[in-house]
Amino acid sequence: MKILVTAKRVEDYESKIKVKPDGSGIFLEGLKYKINPFDEIAVEEGLRLAAKHGGEVVVASVGGKEVQEQLRHALAMGAHKAVWVNHAGPLDQLGVAGLLAKVCEQEKPDMAILGKQAVDDDQNQVGQYLAELLGWGMATFASKVESLESDAEKAKAPGLAVSADGKAVRVVREVDGGLDTLDVQLPAVVTTDLRLNQPRYASLPGIMKAKSKPIAELTPAGLGVDVTPKLTITKMAAPPARKAGIKVPDVATLVEKLKSEAKVV
Amino acid sequence: MDFIERLRAEFPEGFLTTEPSELAEWGRDWTRVHAPTPSAACFPRDTQEVARLLALCNAHGVKVVPSGGRTGLAGGAVAARGELVLSLSRMNRMEPVDVASRTVRVQAGAVTEAVHQHCAPHGLTWPVDFASKGSSQVGGNLSTNAGGVKVIKYGLTRQWVLGLEVVTAAGEVLQLGGALEKNNTGLDLRQLFIGSEGTLGVITAATLKLAPLPGRADVALLAVPDVAAVLRLFRDARTAALPLSAWEFFTEACLRRVERHRKLRSPFDARHGCYVLLETEGAEPAALEAWFARAFEQGLAQDGTLAESPSRGKELWALRESISESLSATGLPHKNDIALPIAELERFCGALDAVFAARYPGFEVCLFGHIGDGNLHVNVMKPDGMDKADFLRHAAASDEVMFSLVRAHGGSISAEHGVGLLKKKHLHYSRAPEELALMRAVKQALDPRGILNPGKVLDP
Repeated sequence: MKILVTAKRVEDYESKIKVKPDGSGIFLEGLKYKINPFDEIAVEEGLRLAAKHGGEVVVASVGGKEVQEQLRHALAMGAHKAVWVNHAGPLDQLGVAGLLAKVCEQEKPDMAILGKQAVDDDQNQVGQYLAELLGWGMATFASKVESLESDAEKAKAPGLAVSADGKAVRVVREVDGGLDTLDVQLPAVVTTDLRLNQPRYASLPGIMKAKSKPIAELTPAGLGVDVTPKLTITKMAAPPARKAGIKVPDVATLVEKLKSEAKVV
Repeated sequence: MDFIERLRAEFPEGFLTTEPSELAEWGRDWTRVHAPTPSAACFPRDTQEVARLLALCNAHGVKVVPSGGRTGLAGGAVAARGELVLSLSRMNRMEPVDVASRTVRVQAGAVTEAVHQHCAPHGLTWPVDFASKGSSQVGGNLSTNAGGVKVIKYGLTRQWVLGLEVVTAAGEVLQLGGALEKNNTGLDLRQLFIGSEGTLGVITAATLKLAPLPGRADVALLAVPDVAAVLRLFRDARTAALPLSAWEFFTEACLRRVERHRKLRSPFDARHGCYVLLETEGAEPAALEAWFARAFEQGLAQDGTLAESPSRGKELWALRESISESLSATGLPHKNDIALPIAELERFCGALDAVFAARYPGFEVCLFGHIGDGNLHVNVMKPDGMDKADFLRHAAASDEVMFSLVRAHGGSISAEHGVGLLKKKHLHYSRAPEELALMRAVKQALDPRGILNPGKVLDP
């Protein structure tokens, strides 16, 4: 099984993020970065599936040369090779999905696993666009992914409509009010939710080994994708600061305020 | 008039409390050996109020326990004999950071972490850092000459102070040192008060020396089989001149307690004997990786991970910083904080194993600490079936054996926790009779009526 996973570079939440006073963006000085945590879960899931069923994991990212740090991290976790689409300019979600679709056409994975969203802008769009552009099946917000590749596994899943080639995955996804189970024919796009797994720490021997793993460099022009953003950001603003709490002298006043002001009792 | 009533009359409203539930809190630190019984807790707002209060206490022979964030582990801030608690909590003002001289003037009640946050926007920090920084106060850090996790690079608290304001037992206000980096004018009285655990005077404000915030910090956790391997790895890191800012270790027993209490997970699939948490500041990535590669080639480490981002680094630090809390939450630890010369550590640890085998057969011993400073935290856990009093008696007797060993290897019976109440009777293992006599003479000169933190560090 060949699996493509993604590794977006996002601001580390240990960094102090400040919006510029003119609303044109955030201050970039001194920011620290890391792999999008949902993508890290996707990498982990890809590695587990590949270890169980055989196969390889290809990690892809789009951005300037600094995104190689996130690709190296995924390689250190155990991914077999990396694809870097070198593009330093602005991008929107459709542009990224267009690039990933071309990468998928080249790499021909059985499955693409992406974080459900990136923690920087929380858009939650790329996985869905990608499935549409490729014409693949899709299962978002996975909290459990199970391959139904072998006959034995298919037998354990009665009622499953599987195509003649017999390849599918069962995805348990988190939805409002419960869990939803989907059987998806491959190739498919799966996006990961928080509880799918706990990503491994990259081991130091793994980090050493990652240095000699290949990173293939591509460009939007080479892939024939126009990434001119259709979306423009007009203004950024910090959420309103929380108001300070107040102290009440006794329980009676508290109950009174809960009734009259907060209206919760 | 009763003394407390007199204080109420002479000071502004809200100056003191005698509420029993509050006194229980203000009268204790992180130790739980002595029950708190303060007569009252006072909260002065400025140095003049501290001076007036001490002058009154001195005149009436009322004993006082100076009090900061009360995160101490030796009972130095415990008021167990009806003393008055003098809390500096309300005196927490910080003046603007002086970027050119890299100093900041703060009052004694400023919380350590607040000082860090105050200085960070200027690219500066006060490099005194430990797990309790969210509660501990500058005054307490100075009075105990606190250590912590970055001593290997920055040294102890006493190296990061330029000036002190101290109120004596008689209520005189001393300005010591100011903001001078250089001041060779006789005895350095500042250093007398730093580390005196509130027995010589009350520190009310300080001019702190600041260091540039480190640029790039790397955090790694390495797995090794035993303490000897920790020391071998340390020697190798020092030989390679890694810019270490922390070299911490803990044993498997500590990790298991942390996993149980904090629900944190080990980064490794397999279990190992010991773990080393190391941090470097400003290391060349290539040099660091070359060192790791060599450590694995030479079999110095069994497994390891390098944090790829600051948030991952914080997760690794959490494993180390949660140990104290996890030991106390999951059992009853008998704690010791000892220091050895680095060169003696390996021989000492071998001898210590023999002591443990003889004194604590079958007991769970949790070892951790700042081993790069020669500092070991030795925690013996009470076995489940054993009576608490029996355990404490047995542990106290065993301490004598361990402290003799510490003395024989040229070590200290209290590396960074201080002496307070808990280590007082063992002080003779680390200080000669002549030294103790000198320390008594200094105490007598500065606090002749013995009102300041009585019974701590030394008996009269």
